[in-house]
Amino acid sequence: MAVPALLLAAALATWTVDAGTQGVLVEDHRAPVVTVTMEFPVGTWSSWARSHDAADAFTFQDDDPERALRKRADALATTIDLGMGRRSASLTIRCLTPDLGAALVLARDVLANTRYDEHELKRESRERKILWRGNETDVGFRLAQAAARALFAADDPRRLPYEKPERVETDVAKLVATRDLMIRWPGRVIGFAGDLTKEDAARAAEGLLPLPLDIAPTDVAPRLGAITPASSRAKEQDIAMSKLTQVYLELVRDSIPFTDLRRPAFLVADHVLGGHFYSRLYVALRHDAGDTYGAGTTEDGDVAPGVYAASTYTRAENADAIETKLRGVMNVFHEKGITEEERATASASLRGNRAFGRQSAEQILRRFLTERRLGLAPGFLDDQIEQAAALSLDEVNAFIRQFYAPSQFTMLRAK
Amino acid sequence: MLSALILATLVQTTLPNGLEVTILPDPTMPVVATQVWYHVGSANEGKDSRGLAHLFEHLMFGATTTRGKGDFDKFVTGVGGEDNAYTTPDETIYVSEVPPEAAEQILRFEADRMRNLALTQENLDNEKKIVTEELRRGTENDPTSRLLVKAQRALLGEHPYAFDPSGSKADVAAATIASCRAFYDAYYHPNNAHLVVVGPVDPEAEMATIREAFGALPREGTTPPDVPPLYGWPFPSGFELKEDIPPVEVALVGAPLPPADAADATAVEVLVEVLAGGSVDPLHEIVVSRRKKAIEAGIETIALRRGGGIVFYSASLPYRRKSTAMRVLDEAIAELDRMEWLTDQTLASAKRRLAQDDARAFAFAEERADQIGESRWWLGDAHHAFDRTTRIDAVTRDDVAAAWRTYVRDATKIRVYVKPEHVPAYIRMFGWLYPLFS
Repeated sequence: MAVPALLLAAALATWTVDAGTQGVLVEDHRAPVVTVTMEFPVGTWSSWARSHDAADAFTFQDDDPERALRKRADALATTIDLGMGRRSASLTIRCLTPDLGAALVLARDVLANTRYDEHELKRESRERKILWRGNETDVGFRLAQAAARALFAADDPRRLPYEKPERVETDVAKLVATRDLMIRWPGRVIGFAGDLTKEDAARAAEGLLPLPLDIAPTDVAPRLGAITPASSRAKEQDIAMSKLTQVYLELVRDSIPFTDLRRPAFLVADHVLGGHFYSRLYVALRHDAGDTYGAGTTEDGDVAPGVYAASTYTRAENADAIETKLRGVMNVFHEKGITEEERATASASLRGNRAFGRQSAEQILRRFLTERRLGLAPGFLDDQIEQAAALSLDEVNAFIRQFYAPSQFTMLRAK
Repeated sequence: MLSALILATLVQTTLPNGLEVTILPDPTMPVVATQVWYHVGSANEGKDSRGLAHLFEHLMFGATTTRGKGDFDKFVTGVGGEDNAYTTPDETIYVSEVPPEAAEQILRFEADRMRNLALTQENLDNEKKIVTEELRRGTENDPTSRLLVKAQRALLGEHPYAFDPSGSKADVAAATIASCRAFYDAYYHPNNAHLVVVGPVDPEAEMATIREAFGALPREGTTPPDVPPLYGWPFPSGFELKEDIPPVEVALVGAPLPPADAADATAVEVLVEVLAGGSVDPLHEIVVSRRKKAIEAGIETIALRRGGGIVFYSASLPYRRKSTAMRVLDEAIAELDRMEWLTDQTLASAKRRLAQDDARAFAFAEERADQIGESRWWLGDAHHAFDRTTRIDAVTRDDVAAAWRTYVRDATKIRVYVKPEHVPAYIRMFGWLYPLFS
């Protein structure tokens, strides 16, 4: 019954489109739909992108004053998604198979558009300011902001999403120049998923993007600072918010990067601590005494360290009791580790859960692009699950004793 | 076509005890989705049972007379699966997705908790505390959710849809073992449920397991009566609300839409797609881009089983008067009444967008199970999950125009105005300058 997933994985093909562009196809003819993602190696973590307003240049390029490009997309029943992540910018189109040719012409026109809508740029700028004020009453945002400020230096790009945003650049000539440059740097990929053949995809990729430059980009790779060491961080911090009837707690530290050799052990440990509905945190804080509705762990997944957090919340008058319990769960976890039964269950769960990412061709393409963007070999993340499952109990517990030391965590309280 | 082959193996039957069963075998999927749709939601609660539909969503993960608390979740986690439950005004849905080799056991768990739930005081007290924390987190401490709950109550008055499906803290506090037992005995029965299985299963083996696991459960209890449709309900003409939202004032003009099984419901669905389903929102174009009378504007819709709503809204910095904002919206709706947005080409495009949405859902077991469950309960027949494209293709331009006239142009509108509790001094003093620089 696992055959379909294997068939899809086997149908992944790659080729060279030109000197600066890779092609990839995940073939799937079950439904008459196609997804095409063009990815460019410039993300919000690059200092070049920030100094050239590359995020604005890339994400607003389909918005001309007459909405002609968007109206064409609507007429074609095609969606165009433009976005810039930490390490790349991407344009994704989704359409029915017969519309692919016209949709690709539209994508090419978007990438060549020189008529950005200045009025919309100004409006976006104003809206950005208003939305920023809305963050003041958002508990999740305020905790994430405090965690980023605790762990990263002021000029570290990992803090950017939580600091006041700059106004939208409204100089259209500057935006066009930036966009034209960033889409020509080598390291690009055109990914296809869905109802087309390798020949269809190779033909579609030809000439889709302007010729790449023959020089490598500079200042585009993320420049991340060092993590603020635990010894230099406050052990706890309160975030004052008005009108809250609950207290929200997060124990935070730096996360384990994907390429860290300790990562497989982390996957097992984290699953047991906070990765499911009967994890240690859920049982102690929710199921045993009803202190909370939610408890668990979160992390930023990347090859660079981000924020790892164990969190929960409760009614204001129960704050001290739940903080004691949260710290207690973490201390016992650190001191005693996990049991063989927990290790075996975590391994089986991590293995079984991989099937969820193999349901559609677009999911498989997305995983390929993630691994490529992070500089990982295809299949790296799935292989890591196998490595995790092969670890002994002693290996996992040795990791827990090192990583979950209470001295490494900062307590954040929003109340 | 593969989809036609899969449809040929569709199983749809009703057991002697009233349990409706739909199995859609699809060997190309890597996981099996199992859903149990109980045809009872928060709108079916009375004054004495308010909040129980949602509280039950929690209690159903407790111990049964044969299994311990958490056994279901632990089993699903152990195989790498996922499970959850949702309470809406119209139904309560228990969902799980597991690798195929674990699917049979899911059926046994679902059959067990359908009639064997152990309702203990200890577990009820614990879940009441948990749900109360959920309400504090989801509503009490989130300004947008607070606003929505207030708006729902003010808009719908005594209609059963007026109440937050999660209940209130007072509702939760009032729940007793006796009231929970009465709710369970009334509604958690095979004859008030629809079991949907989608994925790589052998339909004959699956059906045999279903008969064995569910077949002995007795036909008892009841399906609650339908709640009144929203269309035709005596709504207030309008009201104002205040909340701790970002510093904008929001004007809304809305009107109710028909029940999901109404004769013109598909035409309404296509109307909504033509009007608001693309990337260019016609209201935004008129109010924000051309007339520059707001910072944001658009068209939103909501759909429930017994009706929905269409809402035209604009958001402005808080210097503009309510009467001006409402007039601008009225003028924009009058301009939309010329129906320049409705052409043969925009109609065809909207149909293609809906077709693409359906085609993309094709790969996901859970999405297809959702479609099947909703089609059975909202439209009266699970098969409507598979004839949607045909129904949409049959909608004509005249049908869409008629739907606009009935549900927008000729409808009695409801007017809502939302103000922020706090406005920064610089906006209060200088906000009026904004149009001069736009």
